[in-house]
Amino acid sequence: MSIAFKPEETFRGDYSYRNSDAAILRFPFPFPEDKYMYSVNIEPHVRSGPSDVYLRPFDVDEHYIAECRDRAITLERDPGRCQVLPHMMLAQWDTLELLMENLSADYPEHFTLTKEGDDFGSRWTWTNRPLGIEQSFIFGDAATLPCEPFEYITRQAQGDFAICDQRDDNLYMDAGMVTSQADWSLEFDVGMSFMEWHGPVPLAHQTGVFERALKYLLMLRLGQPVRRLNWTMTINPRLDTSPESFPEWGTDRASVTPDNAGQKVHLRVELQTLWRLPRSNAILFPIRCYLASLDDLARVPKWGARLHRVLSTLPPQLVEYKGLTRYLPAALAWLSRHDDGRALPVGTEAGVSTLS
Amino acid sequence: MLHSDIKSRPTYRALEPDLAAAGHLLVVETATLQPGGLANLADTFAPVAAKLHTWLVGEAQAVPGLGKPWQLPAVADVVDALACATRGYGIGDRLYVQGTEPFLWSVATAAAIVGFGPGQIQLCHAGSLQRRVWCTHCHGFTEQVTTNVVPCAGCGRHLLVRDHFSRRLGAFMGVMVDAEAPGEIPAIEEVFA
Repeated sequence: MSIAFKPEETFRGDYSYRNSDAAILRFPFPFPEDKYMYSVNIEPHVRSGPSDVYLRPFDVDEHYIAECRDRAITLERDPGRCQVLPHMMLAQWDTLELLMENLSADYPEHFTLTKEGDDFGSRWTWTNRPLGIEQSFIFGDAATLPCEPFEYITRQAQGDFAICDQRDDNLYMDAGMVTSQADWSLEFDVGMSFMEWHGPVPLAHQTGVFERALKYLLMLRLGQPVRRLNWTMTINPRLDTSPESFPEWGTDRASVTPDNAGQKVHLRVELQTLWRLPRSNAILFPIRCYLASLDDLARVPKWGARLHRVLSTLPPQLVEYKGLTRYLPAALAWLSRHDDGRALPVGTEAGVSTLS
Repeated sequence: MLHSDIKSRPTYRALEPDLAAAGHLLVVETATLQPGGLANLADTFAPVAAKLHTWLVGEAQAVPGLGKPWQLPAVADVVDALACATRGYGIGDRLYVQGTEPFLWSVATAAAIVGFGPGQIQLCHAGSLQRRVWCTHCHGFTEQVTTNVVPCAGCGRHLLVRDHFSRRLGAFMGVMVDAEAPGEIPAIEEVFA
C-alpha cells in the first residue's frame, strides 16, 4: 500500500503536524464507554479491530518520516534516550529481525529485506525507501551496522520501544528507545522491575491490576502478541513530552483557553503491544503514539461527545497524575459545545465514514 | 523502621545474619545509632561473630562482640575500600548495611560492582529520612534533602521531590516544580527529617 508521507511536518517549534481526514478516521479512539478507569485491557494483537491501525502489527502512517526525524533531533540533544544494558544484545537482534521482517512483509513498496540465511552470520540487506537507507550487514555482528542493532532499527520506526528481560518471575526494563514518552524517564526507570516502574500510577495497584497484568505477561507466547491502549492529553502536537524536557513544554499547559483548546489540546493515545522474542525470551514493548487535536476528534460527533463525558467524570487522582489539572476546565468548556447529551453507542468505532 | 507505600522503594528490614553464609560484612553508619545500638548489633551477630567483619563509618566506640571493627571516616571510604578489596567476595558472602537511605544505596551500589548480588545484601534503614534526589533535567544529584521542594545542586531549578525511587541511582526523582508557571513555588516544608 502507498502512503502519502508528510516529510516536512514538525512536532516542535511551529508544530506543523496535522492529521489528514483519513488519519482522523483511523485514529485509535480509546473510550468505548462514557467513563474511564484502569483495567487489564489486554487483548490478542490480531490483524483486525475497530480501527485500521490494527491491520498491520507495526503500523506505518503518513507521519512516519517526520516522526523519525523528530526522534533523531531528540537523540542528538539527549543520547540517553536510548539505553541498553549490556546483557541485552541477543534481544537487540531479536528486535531488529522482528521489525525488519514485519515492515518488509506488510509494506513491500517502502521496505525490503533480503536474507542469505536466517541464522547469525548470514548477510542481510535492508532497504528503507522513505528514509533513503540501504544497508548490508551480517546478522549477529553489531560491528557491521552504524550503531547497535536496537538503536539502528528503532531510529527507523514510529513509537517508543522498551525491552523487558524476564527473570525471577518478573520483568525488568533493561533497554529502551524513548523519545515520545508521556512524561516518564528512561534514565530513571532503566533496570527497574515491573512493579517499580509502575510505582507512581495511582489507584491501579490497589485493585490488583498490575499483579494480574504481570502474571499474564510472564506467560506471553512466541507468535501471539497482545495489545492494549493507554492515553493521556498533550498540549500542542509534541512527541517529546519527557520529564527531561518538561521545562520547555510545561508552560504550554498554562496557555489553554476555551477558545484555543480545539487546536491546542490533543488526545494522545498509545497503542502498546507486547511481543515474546525468540532467542532472548525477553518481551518487546512497542509504544506507538497517535495524536489528534480536539478539533480533529470533534469532527467525529460520537468521539467529541464521548471525550467530554470521559473527561468530566475522570477521578481526580487520574486528572492529577496525567497532568491535566491546569487546563482541564478550558478543554471541558470547549468540548461541552460538542455534547448534546444524547445516548452514545458502546464501542470505539467512529460510526461515520466522512467527517463533519 | 521505615514504612512506606511507595511502590518503587525497597522494603527495609532489621538485619538478620544468614547462618549458612561463608563470610559476613557489616557496615554501619554510626551517626544513626541509638544508644546501645552497637551492643544490640553485637547480640544479633553473635552466632556468626567468628566470621564477621565490621566497618563502622563515622565516630564510634567499639564494643565487644563485633570483632575488631574497622573505622572509616565517611561513606566515600566504604566505596573506595570495596573497590580496592583484594580479599575478594564470593557468592557465599553476605553484606549487611545499616544507615540512612542514601548511605544504604551508596554502599549497595559499590558492593554490586564488586560482585554482590541482590540476594547477598541486606539493608536496614536507620536515622534520618533524608533523601538523595536525582534531577530529571540536568541528571545531577542533590544530597541530604529533607524538604518537599529543593533547589537542584546541579542546575538550580526548584525540584519537587517525587515519591518514586530508583535503586540503580539510589535516589528519588526530582522534577521542576514551577515548569508550568515559572516562579510559582509552593511553600517549602520539612517532610523528610
